[in-house]
Amino acid sequence: MSEVMKGLGAGLAVVLSVTAIGHSAWATTSESNGTAPDSTSAARVAALEAAGGSEIGGSVNVMGVLGGEELDDFLAVIEPFEEATGIDVEYEGTRDFGAVLQTRVDGGNPPELAVTPAIGLIAELADEGEVIDLRGVLGDEVLEASFDPGLIATASNDEIVFGAFNTINLGGLMWYNPQAYDGPTEPASWDELIEWATSKAAEGESPFCVTLESGAASGWPAADFIDEIVLRQAGPEFHTRWRNLEVEWTAPEIRQAYETYGQMITPQGMAFGDVNSVLGTNFANAADPMFGDEPGCFLTQQATFMGGIIAGNFPDLTPVDDYDFFAVPDFSTEFPNLRGIGGEIVAMFEETPQSVALTEYLVSVEAGTLIAETGRWLSPNRQVDSSSYIDPFLSKASVILQESEGSYNLANSLMPQSVVDAFWHSGLEYTQDPDNLDEILATVEAARQDAL
Amino acid sequence: MILERFSMLGIAVVAVGASTVLYTNVAARTVRALPTGLARRVRPALWIAPAALVVSVVLIYPAGATVVLSMFDADGGGFVGLRNYTDLLSKPSTLVALRNSLMWVIGLPLLGAVLGLIVAVLTDRVRYGPWVKAALFVPIAVSAVATAVIWRFFYEYKPAGTAQTGTLNELVTRLGVGPVPWLIDGWVNNPALIATAVWTQTGLCAVIFAAALRGVSVDLYEAASLDGASPWHQFRHITLPLIWPTVVVVLTTMAVIALKAFDVIYVMTNGSYDTDVLATLMYKELFSARDDGRSGALATLLMLSVAPIVWFNVRHYRSSLRGMR
Repeated sequence: MSEVMKGLGAGLAVVLSVTAIGHSAWATTSESNGTAPDSTSAARVAALEAAGGSEIGGSVNVMGVLGGEELDDFLAVIEPFEEATGIDVEYEGTRDFGAVLQTRVDGGNPPELAVTPAIGLIAELADEGEVIDLRGVLGDEVLEASFDPGLIATASNDEIVFGAFNTINLGGLMWYNPQAYDGPTEPASWDELIEWATSKAAEGESPFCVTLESGAASGWPAADFIDEIVLRQAGPEFHTRWRNLEVEWTAPEIRQAYETYGQMITPQGMAFGDVNSVLGTNFANAADPMFGDEPGCFLTQQATFMGGIIAGNFPDLTPVDDYDFFAVPDFSTEFPNLRGIGGEIVAMFEETPQSVALTEYLVSVEAGTLIAETGRWLSPNRQVDSSSYIDPFLSKASVILQESEGSYNLANSLMPQSVVDAFWHSGLEYTQDPDNLDEILATVEAARQDAL
Repeated sequence: MILERFSMLGIAVVAVGASTVLYTNVAARTVRALPTGLARRVRPALWIAPAALVVSVVLIYPAGATVVLSMFDADGGGFVGLRNYTDLLSKPSTLVALRNSLMWVIGLPLLGAVLGLIVAVLTDRVRYGPWVKAALFVPIAVSAVATAVIWRFFYEYKPAGTAQTGTLNELVTRLGVGPVPWLIDGWVNNPALIATAVWTQTGLCAVIFAAALRGVSVDLYEAASLDGASPWHQFRHITLPLIWPTVVVVLTTMAVIALKAFDVIYVMTNGSYDTDVLATLMYKELFSARDDGRSGALATLLMLSVAPIVWFNVRHYRSSLRGMR
């Protein structure tokens, strides 16, 4: 790809990227595009079973946020289903997902299925009675066999299970260039990492690469990390209350999380560039300064999909040798080894034989295996064999998840969109003016009050 | 799927055509069958009816419904009177958006018209004129989203001391001024956004002005230069007065475009760093906060602010028609 095309791609990503770690705006691929034939044929069998054993034909309308190579990978997971059942899956991708879905639901013309990282939005629609209970569609047994209780709870309200996880990204990773990075790769605590970073900054080299621009969703990379810090600093119980809007944004725990995030950017020389370049550079270019004769910075915090982005920006680099990650260490001894995740859920708006069949198929371990084999996502299905991860980063991430004390979906994909917008925005404002934290938190608090 | 859409499109075209023919036939026959006195009164009504129907369904009814919604709460359930308006006007973010909308409504028409007029006058009756105008007209054909993406590159900011990838910052760094965060800095970001819109509209303004200039008789300029009028005096006392109606139309059209400004801002900053305008705020209240009341109130404010411009435009158009007679 020429530089111009790359620039254009980045530009489109600027416009199109919408959400937090639920998905990367564009990405790339790893070498694992060829899916093993046996997993594909197994998927065909599972698909036929999902359709009740016969080629029922017809079509199902799926609305989502994917485009480009991400969509190609998702469609590759769907393909065996279409072949086996004769059902035509019409995927309609939009980056303005919330607005389009809302309009279609209000107009009485919802898609049959939605596959989306905007779990909070689906939860709102579920509260309004617009979403079909998957417990009735799939059955408790299947749900419990396929997913961790935490994942089921995340996609449930008091009455129904409104979604089933389809893909997962692991957040809270520190990506680095092993050729240049001389800090700890297994730091015992956040403080240890900051200690290294501080000494690095004192030598006149910026330890952290931070960039927050993401078009209409700018600020989410900061919000994602603050979100993860809240989880791992104040604990899951607090995090859950917080995401349910039961906690004021001016609470000391939230303030502390912002300040912890601020350690990466506020002290002079910690983050590469200056405040304006942190705010104005696209998140997909965060790691760019790490690679070069004289690296501008050494660590960038991001989810699993960052590996794909680096591969896209620097096709000549070798994964693991030239770029790798370690999990961000614990922020608190009280809550060790917790992980923040993001993901896409399947939600049903219209129950038809076709939409039921596709949902059953996507939840199946066979489809989960294909998802793992795309090399792009982790499968939420706990029956998926960890050897299905051909991609070294995903395989490492799946181990981290398995060994964790618990994984929790980040709150900023679960809160109402108006609060999420304010939260993302606060990431920019705090970066721009850290001394103004009181006022910034009060603004998000006002958005929470409005959303109650 | 695509075939399906095409066949639907075909059906739509045929159906609209057929019903138009049918309606005109029936209407004409009806009028003919009526006694003369009655026919004279019924005829205009019959011809206006289809347009009136469409306008009421897609414009008047939604506008009215929006005003009504603006006096109800978020989900349209309870009547709250003018509380949405007072709530909005007491929020700093709304005041910033109002200020920015005002900046747009002054900046875009003024810059667009002045630049368009300069281009039109300078390229009038010269050999390369059409080429210049064509080149300047191209941006209007570029989608607003693409325009915004291009201009983001143009405004790109890199820290001082590193290579500047944005054209504008490369330029100002060479001039010895440090790189400017065009879209972040509170002093320059709104003008920078307006400049993007000016780029898309200047060509349109120039073409409209060029057409108006064609209507000014060459004899007048010849006479004026015989009397010793300088080019500036010719422009000031002949050109400008004669194309004044066009200037007004351009200014008001640009003002309406400025008030509707949304896409450029949505793509380039999404309202960050105090760049929201009424339209982006309305979008956020509607699709992010899902507050029908407040978004209705913002839409109503937007409508009210456009109304005087439209009213002025219509009045001006009428008086210019009268002038022609």
